[in-house]
Amino acid sequence: MPGSFAVRAENLVKVYEGTVRALDGVTLSVEEGELRAIVGPNGAGKTTLMRILTTQIKPTSGDAWVLGRHVVREAGKVRSAIGYVPQEFSVWNDLTGYENLLVYAKLYGIPRDRRKRVIEEMLEFMELKEAANRLVRTYSGGMIRRLELAIALMVKPRVLFLDEPTIGLDPRARALVWSRVLEYRKEYGATVVFNTHYMDEAERYSEVVTMMNRGRIVAEGEPGDLAKAVGEGDLVSLSLEGDTAKALDALSRVPELVVVSAKNPVLVRVENAQRQLPYLMEALMGNGVRVKEVGIRRPTLEDVFVKLTGMTVEEAEALGFRGAAAMRRAIRRGG
Amino acid sequence: MSLARALTFVELELRRLRHDPTEVFTRAVQPILWIGVFGTVMARVRAIPTGGVDYLTFITPGVLMQSSSFIAMAYGIMLVWERESGILKKVLTLPLSRLTVVLGRSLAGAARALTQLLVILLVAVPLGAKLDLSPIALALAVLALLAGAAGLTALSILLATFMKTRERFMGILQAITMPLFFASNAIYPIEVMPAPLQAFSRVNPLTYVIQALREALVYSNPLACLQSIVDISLFSLAMIALATLLLGKIVE
Ligand SMILES: Nc1ncnc2c1ncn2[C@@H]1O[C@H](COP(=O)(O)OP(=O)(O)OP(=O)(O)O)[C@@H](O)[C@H]1O
Ligand SMILES: [Mg+2]
Repeated sequence: MPGSFAVRAENLVKVYEGTVRALDGVTLSVEEGELRAIVGPNGAGKTTLMRILTTQIKPTSGDAWVLGRHVVREAGKVRSAIGYVPQEFSVWNDLTGYENLLVYAKLYGIPRDRRKRVIEEMLEFMELKEAANRLVRTYSGGMIRRLELAIALMVKPRVLFLDEPTIGLDPRARALVWSRVLEYRKEYGATVVFNTHYMDEAERYSEVVTMMNRGRIVAEGEPGDLAKAVGEGDLVSLSLEGDTAKALDALSRVPELVVVSAKNPVLVRVENAQRQLPYLMEALMGNGVRVKEVGIRRPTLEDVFVKLTGMTVEEAEALGFRGAAAMRRAIRRGG
Repeated sequence: MSLARALTFVELELRRLRHDPTEVFTRAVQPILWIGVFGTVMARVRAIPTGGVDYLTFITPGVLMQSSSFIAMAYGIMLVWERESGILKKVLTLPLSRLTVVLGRSLAGAARALTQLLVILLVAVPLGAKLDLSPIALALAVLALLAGAAGLTALSILLATFMKTRERFMGILQAITMPLFFASNAIYPIEVMPAPLQAFSRVNPLTYVIQALREALVYSNPLACLQSIVDISLFSLAMIALATLLLGKIVE
């Protein structure tokens, strides 16, 4: 029943130029009003999925609906219901912020008598009033993102798609972007679907996380539940001097301990780090292992990813075609 | 399709031109040389039969179209850039038909090209080109130029969908624009060309636009001009239709 979901995808496959399999059978449901993160390393297929859902490109096979409208057969109706901010910058940097809003307002078909009010309201909401009459060329990355959000929100979309909304921004700019998105969502009860490869952001801002790797969904669930998939308890990372073999040997004799990653820094899971750490250290030192640094943390989505794919996010990205450097270039071009 | 929304792309272009009008002037350098140097020298030589019209007057419409066509044909580079940035992705998710997008952008390219009419008149008339500057003649010239440049812009958009990098686009652009210019009636009548070139120039859209501009500005023949504008419009509509069908390819 595609009708009852904000977003529904069934077996989406996308093959670019007959060779690159960017999506390899993606099935996904997003409830109305949900805040959904799609995470995964560079090249996972996040952007491709979003571009199909926003009617820019057609899937090679499979179907998708937004608010019950088919993204290929009813593309026009989908377009009237969605807001979208692409990964790369989507404003004309040789126009002012106000002019960008004006041009987009006209392209959206917002009637003349409402245009000015909507633009003023959005400039206010996004804290861009002072900068409105400056050329976008002079804006910071955070301001450009807020301008793009202002443009996307002018028509009060019921479903908002954000592709890497905070990529390349400093923490303060990231926080401001998020506060605006969350406030809009609260006020209008909109569904928000966002791509990110910052796992911490997904954990912090989403209700449900979809984790992708190489065109497939590898995990889905509430961030807390996903983290539990790594196992209950705490993670202890041990940065070791020299060989890990002796350390692993010592650790194998510690009860109620699971080795998550055997590479230095060694990562182990214990039920309660506070209680078990002294025994753990005793076992290591008893075997002549020198520990340089100890870290204790709760499992994160990164750990989930490592567990499910056997790769760190960095390793998965190295396998992708487009590195982070290429993406930064793409972003700079837009700015 | 909504004409009002299509015209928003023209407004966009005019706003950009207002912030940075350099293109109007840099594009004016070549035509000034063609008219001011080539035109005045060749006029003295009297080597080219122009049917009773002095040479400077004869080539002014040709040079006007050359300059305009370069601007129109270069418009696609903007789309290549917008494809690399997120603008095109965003535009394709707006509630606009693809036809509105292509028509709007074609008219936007034409609006840019139209700036050359003013530039060329300001150069050619003081140098002695004898042009009909009546309101009807000027209106017809604007119409012919708009129709022709919109079609060439659509052709440029079409090229941009296949040439996905700036370098490749610039390459193909250079390979096309100069031959189109020389194989047209811009600086000599078709009749003096060798037969194969004549055949080509008869399917060259530039020839028809230049013909229309001469009928308006030089021969003061509005009816003939209107007929030429109809021919040009057919070409342009075909280009716009084709670019609309293939626009989806550009973002793949
Ligand atoms: N237009 C295209 N033509 C050919 N291949 C493409 C195209 N767009 C993406 N790809 C390839 O498809 C795969 C998935 O890319 P996609 O951009 O969807 O990933 P992503 O998860 O958004 O990555 P990133 O974090 O880098 O944005 C990659 O291997 C990429 O190189
Ligand atoms: Mg992406």
